[in-house]
Amino acid sequence: MTEGKGWNPYLAGALSGLVSIASVWAAGKYLGASTTFVRTAGMLEQLAGAERVARMEYFLREVPGFDWQWLLMAGIFAGAFVAAYTAGEFRWRTVPEMWRQRFGPSGWRRGVAAFCGGVVAMFGARLADG
Amino acid sequence: MTELIYGFVTGILFGFCLQKGRVLRYDKQLGALRLADFTIVKFMLSHVVVAMVGVYLLYDLGLVKLAVKPTVLGGVVIGGLIFGFGWGLAGYCPGTAVAAVGEGRLDAVWAVLGMLVGAGLYAEAYPVLKVTVLTWGDFGRITLPQALGVNHWPVIGAVVVLTLLFFRQLERFEAARPALTLHKHTDAE
Repeated sequence: MTEGKGWNPYLAGALSGLVSIASVWAAGKYLGASTTFVRTAGMLEQLAGAERVARMEYFLREVPGFDWQWLLMAGIFAGAFVAAYTAGEFRWRTVPEMWRQRFGPSGWRRGVAAFCGGVVAMFGARLADG
Repeated sequence: MTELIYGFVTGILFGFCLQKGRVLRYDKQLGALRLADFTIVKFMLSHVVVAMVGVYLLYDLGLVKLAVKPTVLGGVVIGGLIFGFGWGLAGYCPGTAVAAVGEGRLDAVWAVLGMLVGAGLYAEAYPVLKVTVLTWGDFGRITLPQALGVNHWPVIGAVVVLTLLFFRQLERFEAARPALTLHKHTDAE
């Protein structure tokens, strides 16, 4: 199966920039992602114990719950799905090609690396406030 | 409620661009970190330049407010180093991980789960970090034009010109080098 080349990256980037401008203009909102992970982690922790979450300083700052950015993330998921599906590019895949050629076809090995990388990346992203 | 709908619609449009630009893919992200595939560099800088000009234009017209984050060197430098290490392992940043799941990439599901754990760990560590790392080199909410003591348009103009010159050099470099051999393209990708 061959996949299309997609859009010129300059064009796709510039169009996404226009989306950014429209968002700031229409909703007064600047695009972001990582705060949503904090709010979602807080909501999941509330399932285990709401009192503890209510006492935690960071969750007082970034209150667990659904907000504009949470819906932005849901939309990003949906938009990527629509773009992939309508182009016939949606397919469940466990291991990216570059990874497979270096580390083999094990989905578990790739999953562990992705999970650990995700933990570290998010900790750093929050520390840098971005 | 209206605000949530704005968020969802904005997300759909942005996610569509991420997929069409191919930037949500592990191979593109690692390609960027290995300085071998500049798709993401082109996408990001194009976004920044367009959004910068547009937002400042609206700002001058009094239609929007800027949202400047505080510059805390301790947090940005140490956080950036930690983030880079994790990004190289995961192969996705937070936004693209969510988008990659939308394309059917199951490894991105693992990355998203890890990111949720990382966010929870950060919340645990925050009381300590707040009085240490996050107090180092705190410059407050500054912008480049403010720091230089000039109007924002000369800075914007310089960034636009430098970015366009960089793009030109990048295209020349890509045209001159032999075909990309980082990995062989097979039917899997």
